[in-house]
Amino acid sequence: MANERLRALEEVEKEIATILQCAGNIVLELSKDKHNASLLDRQLVQFQGSVNRVESELSGQIRYLTQVATGQPHEGSTYSARKDCQMALNRAEYAKVKLGELGRTCETLKPFS
Amino acid sequence: MATQRVLPQSKESLLQNYNKRLKDDIRSILDNFTEIVKTAKIEDETQVSRATQAEQDHYEMHVRAANIVRAGESLMKLVSDLKQFLILNDFPSVNDAISLQNQQLRSLQDECDKKLTSLRDEIAIDLFELEEEYYSSSYSQWDSTDLPLCEAYRRRDSWASPGSSCSSTQGDREDVEGPPSQETNSQHHLNGHGTSSIEKP
Repeated sequence: MANERLRALEEVEKEIATILQCAGNIVLELSKDKHNASLLDRQLVQFQGSVNRVESELSGQIRYLTQVATGQPHEGSTYSARKDCQMALNRAEYAKVKLGELGRTCETLKPFS
Repeated sequence: MATQRVLPQSKESLLQNYNKRLKDDIRSILDNFTEIVKTAKIEDETQVSRATQAEQDHYEMHVRAANIVRAGESLMKLVSDLKQFLILNDFPSVNDAISLQNQQLRSLQDECDKKLTSLRDEIAIDLFELEEEYYSSSYSQWDSTDLPLCEAYRRRDSWASPGSSCSSTQGDREDVEGPPSQETNSQHHLNGHGTSSIEKP
């Protein structure tokens, strides 16, 4: 859920770049002696659509934050689970070391068997 | 009407500020772009000469274009601030992320422990045989205080039926007081020789 909202904000950033790109293309086209009307129309429609999308998306995000924000810091953490997992991995590593020693011991004793 | 939430003043004012910035930047982009397009129109009658008017229009378009770019950058900054605010204050998603992470870590831990347990069970069998082989060989140099696994199992069986195994092999000292004395007597028993406790190859 968090990733979706952050991804939506990244899309908004791309839309803002599109807004500036379209505005620049329109002004560039207007600077020419002969204008391409269809290109102007397309760029203008894209410009307006991007502006509306940016405004609606950012308004929605701000409205959502107004509903969920509490002003308190979040005190959850994954520390205990992470520590337990780290200990399990340490156990596995220790077992690997001991097995290595056992293997070397068996190899050493092999000539005597 | 949705329940009115009482936010701390700082958070409420912050969100209002975000709203204001959004409105201002969008308004700035639209107004400046509209004015640029209006200025692009060539008029026949001008109050000053054409060259002056062109120069003025040129400068105005520069400034308005710079305003559009500034508003765009301000919008990008607003998006960045919203992302930061979302990460810090969107509790439902933070809770989901924490519970998902905890679940993944616990499943990894369980898998690790399960594999270690099965490894332990497999190795215990092999280790039993290895110890029997090692401690019964003539090359073992074990310490009397170090109890091999096979001996521990034998002792456990003898404790279960006390008159069965160890006492019958003793000669001189038969202090049947329990496990400590059986441990002492078993030194002689285990090496396979009469009285000496240390083997020499």
